[in-house]
Amino acid sequence: MTPLHRRTFIKQAGLSAAVLPFIVGLPSLALAAPARPRQRLVVVFSPNGTIPPAYWPDEVGRDFKLKEILSPLDPFKDRMLLLQGISNKVRGDGDGHMRGMSCLLTGIELLPGNIQGGGKSIPAGWASGISIDQELKNFFQSRPETRTRFGSLEFGVGVQDRADPWTRMSYAGSGKPVAPISDPYQMHEKLYGQMKDRESLRSVLDPLKSELAKVRQMISAEDRRVLEEHEALVRQLEREMAESAGQTLRQGPPDLERGVADQNDNVPRLSRMQIDLLVNSFVNDMARVATLQYTKSVGGARMNWLDITDGHHGLSHEPDTDLAAQQKLIKINRWFAGEVRYLADRLAATPEPGGDGSMLDHTLIVWTNELGKGNSHTLDNIPFMLLGGGFGFEMGRSLKFDKVPHNRLHLALAHGAGHRLPTFGKTDLCSGGPLALG
Amino acid sequence: MGRTTLQAIQLGGVALAVILAVSCTGVATKVSSSGESIYRRKCADCHGQKGQGVEGKYKDALYGDLALPKLTRYIAKNMPDDTPETLSTAEAEAVASYVYESFYSRAAQARNHPARIEVAHLTNRQYTVTVADLLRQMSGPSDALVAEGRGLSAVYYNVALRGRFDAAKIVHKGVDAELDFTFDESSPARTRAASAEISMQWRGSVTPDETGDYEFVVRTPNSIRVWINPENPGFNAGDATLDVNVSNPEFPDHRATVRLIGGRSYPIGIDFWALPGKAGATPTPALSLRWKPPHGSERPIPARNLSPAVVAPTFVVNTRFPADDSSQGYERSESVSKAWDEATTSAAFEVANHVVRRLDRLAGTRPGDAARAQKIEGVAARFVANAFRRPLTADETQRYVTAIFQGAPDLETGIRRVVLLALKSPQFLYVELPTSAPGDQAVAARLAFSLWDSVPDRELLRAAAEGKLSTRAGVTAQAERMLTDARTRAKLREFFHHWLQIRYVDDVRKDAALYPGFSPDVVDDLRTSLDLFVDGVVWGEASDFRELLRADYLVANERLATFYGLPPPPPGEFVPIATPNGQRSGVLTHPYLLAALSYKTSSSPIHRGVFLTRSIVGRALKPPPMAQAFDEASFDPGMTMREKVVRLTRSENCQGCHAVINPLGFSLEWYDAVGRYRTTENGRPVDAVSEYNVDEGEKVRLGGARDVAEFAIANERANHAFIEQLFHHLVKQPLMAFGAETIVRLRDSFIASGYNTRKLMVEIATLNALRNTEPAMIAATTPRPLP
Repeated sequence: MTPLHRRTFIKQAGLSAAVLPFIVGLPSLALAAPARPRQRLVVVFSPNGTIPPAYWPDEVGRDFKLKEILSPLDPFKDRMLLLQGISNKVRGDGDGHMRGMSCLLTGIELLPGNIQGGGKSIPAGWASGISIDQELKNFFQSRPETRTRFGSLEFGVGVQDRADPWTRMSYAGSGKPVAPISDPYQMHEKLYGQMKDRESLRSVLDPLKSELAKVRQMISAEDRRVLEEHEALVRQLEREMAESAGQTLRQGPPDLERGVADQNDNVPRLSRMQIDLLVNSFVNDMARVATLQYTKSVGGARMNWLDITDGHHGLSHEPDTDLAAQQKLIKINRWFAGEVRYLADRLAATPEPGGDGSMLDHTLIVWTNELGKGNSHTLDNIPFMLLGGGFGFEMGRSLKFDKVPHNRLHLALAHGAGHRLPTFGKTDLCSGGPLALG
Repeated sequence: MGRTTLQAIQLGGVALAVILAVSCTGVATKVSSSGESIYRRKCADCHGQKGQGVEGKYKDALYGDLALPKLTRYIAKNMPDDTPETLSTAEAEAVASYVYESFYSRAAQARNHPARIEVAHLTNRQYTVTVADLLRQMSGPSDALVAEGRGLSAVYYNVALRGRFDAAKIVHKGVDAELDFTFDESSPARTRAASAEISMQWRGSVTPDETGDYEFVVRTPNSIRVWINPENPGFNAGDATLDVNVSNPEFPDHRATVRLIGGRSYPIGIDFWALPGKAGATPTPALSLRWKPPHGSERPIPARNLSPAVVAPTFVVNTRFPADDSSQGYERSESVSKAWDEATTSAAFEVANHVVRRLDRLAGTRPGDAARAQKIEGVAARFVANAFRRPLTADETQRYVTAIFQGAPDLETGIRRVVLLALKSPQFLYVELPTSAPGDQAVAARLAFSLWDSVPDRELLRAAAEGKLSTRAGVTAQAERMLTDARTRAKLREFFHHWLQIRYVDDVRKDAALYPGFSPDVVDDLRTSLDLFVDGVVWGEASDFRELLRADYLVANERLATFYGLPPPPPGEFVPIATPNGQRSGVLTHPYLLAALSYKTSSSPIHRGVFLTRSIVGRALKPPPMAQAFDEASFDPGMTMREKVVRLTRSENCQGCHAVINPLGFSLEWYDAVGRYRTTENGRPVDAVSEYNVDEGEKVRLGGARDVAEFAIANERANHAFIEQLFHHLVKQPLMAFGAETIVRLRDSFIASGYNTRKLMVEIATLNALRNTEPAMIAATTPRPLP
């Protein structure tokens, strides 16, 4: 947790006169059943490509078997959609990792810049367009019936504190990356800080009232009017707080384990804390879109908890013939699948507030990666795995496309949310329209 | 009169509120008792039984500073509004004298509305400065408020490593004045580095002139990290205000708006790396450190606002409070509103969250420290005492600190609530509360608010604790010490902006075809010139108020000297430059004021005259009784501005005030719309001579600004006006509450001191500080006993 993040956060979500009404009167959160079923999107990112033979099913269609990496997700097999053959076809400046990451959700080239990537690549800057998660957030926020307090929440796990095209996949617009929050305590503060402030404010009202009364006794009759008006304002504040007291959260904030530092070895614990906060924020309908970013492109997490002491990125460069490295990478990717499983479990176990079924029925998880394969740095066959429901896709299938631009998948997500964009990202890569997944 | 509407005159496309004022009244007979009956019959319908005004008729209260004979003539000629002929001369005399004695004159006003010291809450400025200083006190002994020197210290490297610097590659160390560079092949910096790969670090302080929002702009196609008043001392990467790792040549401007209190320094740091970009398309490395001050245009930060010395950061509250009540001519806050109450809550949270984020540092402790709880409670108790400007009783410590910590789940929540309660408490928010504090503590607080708009510092508290503030000599000694503090300078600068009516001046632009070269840079330099001129006089050895009005020099830099045709000063410096005999007379002829008080295409004797009337010669003016649009096209283009104004204001209604305003305004016709001296206008010689009616019968010939200055220096009412405005700005209580003779005494000693402005400040601050402790001196100010 860095002071920058805290300060940035305070500036964004902290207290100003404009935010004060939140302290005094939280908006009613005990929502009635929505007019149409809620739709939510969670994009989960893990880096450095996958091990294709241990990831992609051999079969196409409804009848398929999950391979080793995806095996933790077996209970959700009939709710999954595996999309093989999708390519990130955005070219231009920047190395494969950079374009893999910053074009992953934007589908558009990088701006010129001074970030020198690997090999003989041309230096580049930020992505030149909005990402699909932010596009959907804006779409949901533009309509009163789908508007939420935050619209979207960007969670990180072990993302290093350096802003560059390898560490950002969400963009609010051209050249405007959205930084994920890696510190669960900071996210907790963002989501629930106002409740604590409210409690603090409430706790000082009684001493304040008695102080005002005491001072009023001490001053002349002419000056007393001001103190009386002041007392009336404090009573009004107290009344407003009491009136809004009934408006409680559907579910209280999760009790986070204390003192978990934002460090490599804590990644498993940080991951679960972030997922708990994510699910909690959905229960309380604070956002309809979330991203959950594990480390970053070229992320070098050392997964000591898996007894793997090599950095993830270094391992991903080892050739296919290095079987030990392959086994470690499979283990690493299976661990990520386990975290997706935890997220899916939590959503499946939570009834949809005011609606039918579970929250997973109304939430689509998209788990993806910036590369198809680590040692080749290919942007073809990027692992796109969809899990959950709510977007009208026919789940429980393994599909195989032939190098289809990923822009068309983003279009399918937009259309699935009712946002009928003609194109998304680079127009040339949208021909054929949204992928037919229904 | 009730039929007329108030409106701003608009002319030449500029919307500036101009005052065409008339005082009015109506009626009477021979005896003054019948004056009252005439008033009731013929005047009260429109003016109210006590001259208080009637909504929908004539809503303004009847008071002013016309002498009785003049008031009588006015009434005889114009009142009642619809039928002036129904009032005989004798009746007019009777009613005029009734009106004058009952409520019109200053004496009557003072009698009807006896001034008193009022409980008021902190003004917005007081709140901001106080909170900043409370947190400085919490941080322990702190360094200077203002850093010395010019420019920023610089270290150059002939290598660019992303996010870091290599001490082995230092090629240059020094001080850079302005940061506005293009590092092309021939630039000195690039030559010094002898490398295409360069990186630099600049460190120092920035000192803004005025309080407000500063938009900092760092323009560069390269990577930078920038700190402007970061939350913690030092320049930690995580604390950066701007962190631009990825360059973007298409969007080279990186902006951050930072609220700053004027007249004190804040740490600033810039890290810069010229890393290579796309081959053949890498832009030339460049960096421009710019800002847009509250009243200025965007420009490179001038060297005079930068210092190579680094100071500690200062907390500046961001919450916006509703505007202070300025209806009495100075900012005071004696009423509360919901918006204000909400702002106090928001601001209290801002402070509390800042304290919690820096808690261990402020309390001198760390997690795991066995004495952590004790230290945090200690720091909390000191915060409350400082906020209340007095020591806490045992009972108060229990209620404001101990009990709060006991009721909180953890120390962080505890101190958050202590700060919240302290900053919401009337003991903090209100000044002039009769508290249980010993007299010396109250004296210290009044001194600090008078001179600084802040709480007492350690030295002042020590003096209070040692009983050194119970004598006039002791208080004066402290006031003199405090005078040298940057906070006094900052407060006094605000006063002069108020006195010169330039606090809210924003648009001084002129018609570019008529006044080529009058650029935004010239305007910004003029504002600086005015500030430096006033500072130079007030903080100079003599501190002579007369010099403010008389000075025959202009403080100018190269750009101003060129524009105003003066000999060039040394590059980059503002220096006083003598002007040809009689062309300039202090603030009266400062081009910034003259330009601000002009239209886009011409001078405005009315704006200038109103300014001189109110600020310099100290006469009251009322809002104009009728709307008068100045329509340039309706005048013969061959007319001079003076002729146009004479025609526009020739009606009797207008003359009530314009008889005063116009001669003063005409005396500045020697200056065009950008304040340049001229001898002709429209090809015709300037006519600036007129007669000014000082009072009944007494006339003064005014031929130019110097005549106005000499008149104002010698005139009692003019002196009173200046002293009273300064008093109100410092004390924020009505001068009349200190007794009617106080103004006379202050003027006597002002003149005896050779019009020494600093001594006047000390005198005012001392007078205010000792007001309840020298009962013989000011009898009327003791708060009344409770019923």
